[in-house]
Amino acid sequence: MKPGSLLVAGLIFLLPLAGFGQSGVDHSKHGVDHSKHGGHQMSLDPGGMVMNQNHDTLPRDCNEISRDYDFTIHAGRDYASEVPGMIYGMSQHEVRVQPCSRITVTFVNEDSVRHQWMVHGLPAYLYPAGMFHIEASGGHRKTGTFIVPGDDRSYLIHCDMAQHMEKGMRGQLVVGNGSGDLWGVAGISDEFYRFSYLPVHAALLAALVLVFAFLATFWLTRKR
Amino acid sequence: MTRRWLFILALLIALLSYPTQWYPMPLRLKLTEWFGAAGFRQLPASLPAEAAEPEIFCPPDPQGWRNSQMIENVDIIASTPCVADNPYTVAAFVRGSNNVSQATLHKSGLAADAVEKGRDLDGDGDPDEIHIRLEVAELNGGSSVVPGPVTQYEIAPGIRPGLWVFAPKLVGMAVENFESNQARRSLRLPSPAIRIEQGDKVRITLENTHYMPHTLHLHGADHGFTDVSGEGNDGVPITSEMPVMPGAARSYELSPRHAGTMFYHCHVQPHVHVMMGLQGLFIVEENRPDNWLQTMNIGAGLVRAPSRALREQYDREYDLHYLDLDKELSERIQDQNDPRLITRSMHREYDITDSAPDYFTLNGRSFPYTFRESLLVGEDEERIRLRVVNGGAKGIALHTHGHKFTATHRDGVALPENTHAPQDVIWLATSQRVDLALELSNDGLHAYGPGIWPFHDHQYNGVTSDGIGPGGNISAIVYAQYLDEAGWPQTRGVPFDQYFTQAFYRKEIPVWESYAPGLFSDTGFDWLMLLRVLGLALAGGVIAALAVSALFRRGQGRS
Repeated sequence: MKPGSLLVAGLIFLLPLAGFGQSGVDHSKHGVDHSKHGGHQMSLDPGGMVMNQNHDTLPRDCNEISRDYDFTIHAGRDYASEVPGMIYGMSQHEVRVQPCSRITVTFVNEDSVRHQWMVHGLPAYLYPAGMFHIEASGGHRKTGTFIVPGDDRSYLIHCDMAQHMEKGMRGQLVVGNGSGDLWGVAGISDEFYRFSYLPVHAALLAALVLVFAFLATFWLTRKR
Repeated sequence: MTRRWLFILALLIALLSYPTQWYPMPLRLKLTEWFGAAGFRQLPASLPAEAAEPEIFCPPDPQGWRNSQMIENVDIIASTPCVADNPYTVAAFVRGSNNVSQATLHKSGLAADAVEKGRDLDGDGDPDEIHIRLEVAELNGGSSVVPGPVTQYEIAPGIRPGLWVFAPKLVGMAVENFESNQARRSLRLPSPAIRIEQGDKVRITLENTHYMPHTLHLHGADHGFTDVSGEGNDGVPITSEMPVMPGAARSYELSPRHAGTMFYHCHVQPHVHVMMGLQGLFIVEENRPDNWLQTMNIGAGLVRAPSRALREQYDREYDLHYLDLDKELSERIQDQNDPRLITRSMHREYDITDSAPDYFTLNGRSFPYTFRESLLVGEDEERIRLRVVNGGAKGIALHTHGHKFTATHRDGVALPENTHAPQDVIWLATSQRVDLALELSNDGLHAYGPGIWPFHDHQYNGVTSDGIGPGGNISAIVYAQYLDEAGWPQTRGVPFDQYFTQAFYRKEIPVWESYAPGLFSDTGFDWLMLLRVLGLALAGGVIAALAVSALFRRGQGRS
């Protein structure tokens, strides 16, 4: 794949997608609730929610479940402590699976605030708004299952709390060979808008080098 | 030889090009003496103004949120301006998010533990154990992967300053819908007004969802320096406790003995954090029986489920939160993504002692958006209570047209009756609160009769957005008969179209263009003048080159 198309593919998945401003979790007196809301299938309990779970409906381009995966993904500040410039993180920022596989994710939130594990760009006929979403309250874990389509593609994983993606909670789900790495995935790919991180006097240093190069060239060519 | 002719030609061009209005005054006077005035030459024509399509003034309300309604047995009064708060959120705040049905909780967007209401400790028919959870959200922040601000929130057309706000604990994404990058309705400026009852046992948990340390300081509200367990409770890092780090949570406790309009804010690097928006009204209501309070008022404004005490004396109540913003500060979260760089930029490079505010908001918006949601709507003869805070860095000279209000309380304390006097300008220092009684009784003193009467800061920077007016915190007292069905005020002055364009606030549209097109427009160019200037430049270049080359040749001749 050419770098240009990689960039385009990356940017497409960078676009902030999907939302559901109107949703809620259950509280203890109601127990577990499975309901439809705003077109989304939700499974709620006091520790968080799972949205658009899919255990058995195959995507159109799949004849059967190719394989079952089970991932446990931890999230919180501790998982960013080794990454300079990041505040939040996950125990793994990349999930690699076979096409048409069934994936069960247990999302363990080790912080005291909400976190989310959301996948975007899935087929909208199967997943309303094209997304699968796990949300865990502080100190809780939630498990959800979904089935990926049959084509090679890289999907965005992120936490949609304001600024959590920007500050580290950004990953990719690579199905098959994927469709090129997404930008800005911690430990996988570079930031698209990367700051230059130059020392304070870099401009002066560059100017001195320029003058030196000029004088040296002038002197050398004159001598000849 | 060629050089000499070239020099003469350049000199001639320079002399002919030199604009006559630049001639020295004595020469001009002498020429006038000899030849009289120069002939008439029409001034350049007016330029047509940029055609900008205005936004919809009054967004539709398909779900009927503006209507009065009964939800969870909570009587929610109508909110007649165009944009109203979600009534399901209001109901969940009144009953407690732990006490409402699944359906209401779904529609409220709140987490089940956003506002938990427990036992009735004094047996007067309302809950006295209150647990509030607050999160921290960044609006219009930067990103390392997408261009432009993320989780967008506009205070006026095209104006998106970087902001930090406290928010109720929600469920789901920070953005509104599938396509947009717009912050969801509950994530907005100002931080929500919080209401508790005098004597309630209140616990407020700050769940720090942001990427910097924060605290909660209950300014003016009766709270202990430490809580029951001996932990610091004042929210001040230099005196009472360590700040709440990102991803962590901390609870603050209070059981206020005194009622009044108070304030809450973050106390970490307050000159930056408070001015970024981490501040809200904190209202302690007087204890009354069966007093189910709307614990939070998102975006401040009309209280749709007012307290018992309010209903004894007033017909309705509005929370008014004024805040000014310095764009030199707010843009710092948009310039970069690395929290180390943002921290350095905001807390060391930004110098508040050199600052001046640029944007002036009332309840999180500037004009014309204030006309969508921050109008004070009332009926003839009504008595309205305004709870006002100035959260900004500058003082406010709050002025009402057509009315004189009476200050009844200052900083949450009742003013003596003998000081009550109607006034039409009141000064609010930074972080000061006043309770105002606004009486719509047409007696020539308190009110002059029905109409659309502006109210605004009479310090003139406050009625602009980055120097463009009308903008800033202008809103209006509107009598109900002056609102149309959709909630838009039937103004009789200039059309609002240009105010609902981004171009107007980018300073691209002449201010009177909508009703005096062409008269005060931008001007076209004087092409002849441009030709003269270019001629001068051409001649100047030629003469300079000839001079340098002459010097160079002279130098060579010597060597």
